[in-house]
Amino acid sequence: MSRYVALLEGGRELPVEVTPDGPGIFQVRLGDRVFRVDAFKHDYGTLSLIVDTASYTATLDPRAAHVNVRVRDSIFKVELLDERRLRMRRAAGRLTVDGRQPVATRVPARVVRVHVRDGDAVKEGQPLVTVAALGMENDLRSPKDGTVIALDAAPGQAVGAGAELCAVE
Amino acid sequence: MSPLKPIRKVLVANRGEIAVRVMRTCQEMGIATVAVYSDADRGALHVRRADEAVHLGPSPARESYLVVDKVIDAARKTGADAVHPGYGFLSERPELPRALEKAGLAFVGPPAAAMEVMGVKTSARAAMQAAGVPVVPGSPGTLDGEAEALAAAAALGFPVMIKAAAGGGGKGMKRCERPEDLGKLWASAKRESAAAFGDDRLYLEKALDRPRHVEVQIFCDDHGGALWLGERECSVQRRHQKVVEESPSPLLDEPLRQAMGEVAVTAARAVGYRGAGTVEFLVDAERRFYFLEMNTRLQVEHPVTEMVTGLDLVRLQLEVAQGLPLPAQGDVVRRGHAVEARVYAEDPARGFLPSPGKITYLRLPGGPGVREDGGVYTGWVVPPYYDPLLSKLVAWAPTREQAIARLRRALSEYTLHGIATNVSYLAAVLDHPAFRAGDYDTGFCARYEKELLRRPDPSLEEVALIAAAVEAQKRDQDEAEAFAARAGARAEGSAWARQGRIAARRGRGR
Repeated sequence: MSRYVALLEGGRELPVEVTPDGPGIFQVRLGDRVFRVDAFKHDYGTLSLIVDTASYTATLDPRAAHVNVRVRDSIFKVELLDERRLRMRRAAGRLTVDGRQPVATRVPARVVRVHVRDGDAVKEGQPLVTVAALGMENDLRSPKDGTVIALDAAPGQAVGAGAELCAVE
Repeated sequence: MSPLKPIRKVLVANRGEIAVRVMRTCQEMGIATVAVYSDADRGALHVRRADEAVHLGPSPARESYLVVDKVIDAARKTGADAVHPGYGFLSERPELPRALEKAGLAFVGPPAAAMEVMGVKTSARAAMQAAGVPVVPGSPGTLDGEAEALAAAAALGFPVMIKAAAGGGGKGMKRCERPEDLGKLWASAKRESAAAFGDDRLYLEKALDRPRHVEVQIFCDDHGGALWLGERECSVQRRHQKVVEESPSPLLDEPLRQAMGEVAVTAARAVGYRGAGTVEFLVDAERRFYFLEMNTRLQVEHPVTEMVTGLDLVRLQLEVAQGLPLPAQGDVVRRGHAVEARVYAEDPARGFLPSPGKITYLRLPGGPGVREDGGVYTGWVVPPYYDPLLSKLVAWAPTREQAIARLRRALSEYTLHGIATNVSYLAAVLDHPAFRAGDYDTGFCARYEKELLRRPDPSLEEVALIAAAVEAQKRDQDEAEAFAARAGARAEGSAWARQGRIAARRGRGR
C-alpha cells in the first residue's frame, strides 16, 4: 500500500491510499471514501480509468512540484506528497500563501509603470507593476493582501523572464 | 488556361501555423517552397515542411523576419519566383512588394500603392469617404498632442476610441470614457504604437454603442474581376485581439450581407486592389455599418470562409498572382456554418500572460468536420519572441448550433502539455449563453470576464485525485524495483535483505 497526502487548491489536504489489487486494478481511498478502479496507461501522460462503469480519460501534465490533471474539461492542480516530504514541506512553512510571495514576470518584458512603493499596503488583485511584453501592456497583480517589500522596478527597465520585481508579505 | 506569369517556387516570408498553411497549398499545386527562419526557429515545423530553408538572422523579428533585404536575398539565392508574406511581419509593408518588383519577383499580395493607402488608417478613411463608403465619425486626420485630442474628443462626444494611424491588431488602441482619462490613455497608446509600428501618430474615432466587428473577404484579379466571399463575425475579442470567429454572422440577414459585400468590393476597387483582402466593418446596435479598416493580406481567420465556400484562399491568391482570372461571383456558393477558435500559449489564470516553453505532449482533435491549422509539435519549444498562436481549430457543420457543438467537442479533444494554453477559456466562450444565442458584441469578453474564467468541475475532482494517486503509486513502485534491481546486481546476497530494501523504499511514506 502507498500512502500520500494530496494538497489541493484552496489549501485543502486529503489523505490518499493506493493498494494494488490485481493487474491494473487498484483500491484507492480518498479520505473516508474507497474506490475500486481499473486503470490502463495509454501513451505518455494519459490514463484511462474505469470507476464502476464510468469511463474517464485523465491526462497528467507534470510540472515542477505539482501535476495538472485534466478530466473532461476540468484541470485540477494536484500535489501528492508522501509523509516524509509532507513533514519537510511543513517545516519549510510553504504550504499556503502565507509569508513572502514574489511578484515576477514570466517572460522578458519592459517595465512601463510602477503603481506602488515599498511598504504600501495592497489588496489581492491590485495592480503593482505594468510591464510590456510582445507589444502588449500587462499588469502584475498582488497575489494576496499584504505589504509591498523589496520593490526593484523602475519605468523603462528591461527585465528577464522570471525576474522578481517585488514581493508581497 | 495556362498562367501568364507562372510560379514554380514560392518563398514564404513567415513562420508558425500560417507558413505551414501556405506550404500545404503550394504542395498540392506542385509549387516548390522555401522557408525562412530565425535562430529560435531552426527547429520550427515550417522549416521541416519546406523543400528549402534559408536562415535569416537572430531571433528578434526585427533582425530576421522583418528585414526586407534578407528576404529578397533568400528568394534570389533559392531561385524563388514569388514571395508569400502570410499575415503580420512584412505582409502589410509596401517596401516588400516594391523591393520584389525591383528584383523581378512576384508578390502574392496587392500592389504597394493600395497597401500604402490602406496601411495608414487616416488616409484609408479619407479614400473610403471619397469612394462613398461609410466610415465611423472621427477626427479628419492625425492629432498633434493631448490638447488637440481633447478638443477633438469633445467635438465628437465621449466615449471615443484612440487609435494608431499605423495601427492593427489592437495595438495602440484605447477606449476612453471620460475627458479626465484621456491624458493617461493617450500616452499609453502612443507608447504601444511607437513600439509596435515605429510610428506614434494617433487619431480619434467616436466609440459606437455595442459595436459588432463584421468583416468581408474580398478578392480582385488583374482582369477587372472582383468578388466577395461572405462575411466573418469577429466580435469575440479580448483586448482587441480576436478569439473566436464565425461565418456567417448571426447578426446579418441576406440584404445586409449583400449590401456589405458590395460596399467591400467598392472599397477594394477604389484603391486598385489585387489579391485577397478583408474589409472590416463595425456594425452598430441599429445595424448601420461603417468601414473600419482594410487588411491587405490573408487573415488569421480565413479558414472559416474556406470551410463555408469550399474554396482554398491561398490557391486563389497564387492563381491571381499568376495572372489567372477569378471565378464569377455567381459561382460562389456559401453553405453551412463554420466557427474558429484560436489556441494561444497564454495563461488565462495569470492575466493571459504568454507562456512560452516546451510542449511535452500534443494530441490534436479529429473526427467529422474538424480542421486544425497548427504550427507546433511535441518537443517544440515555443519561443518568447513571436505571437503565441499555437493552432487554429475550425469546425464546419450544416447549422450554427451543430458547428459550435462540434468545435466544443474538438476543444475537449485538444491535449497539450508542458505550457499553459487558453483552451479552457475558449470552451467557456463557446458554452456561454450569450454566445450560443448569437447575441454578442465586441464587449463580450470584458462583460463576462469572470464567467469566462471557469473553475474546474468539483464533481470530477475525485477522478483527478484517483488518476494522480495511481500514477504516483506506479512511479514509486517502478523506482523501488529499479533500486532493488541495482541493489540485487551489486550483491546477489540474501533475498530477505533485498525484500527489506524494497519494503524500505516503498514504505518511505509510512
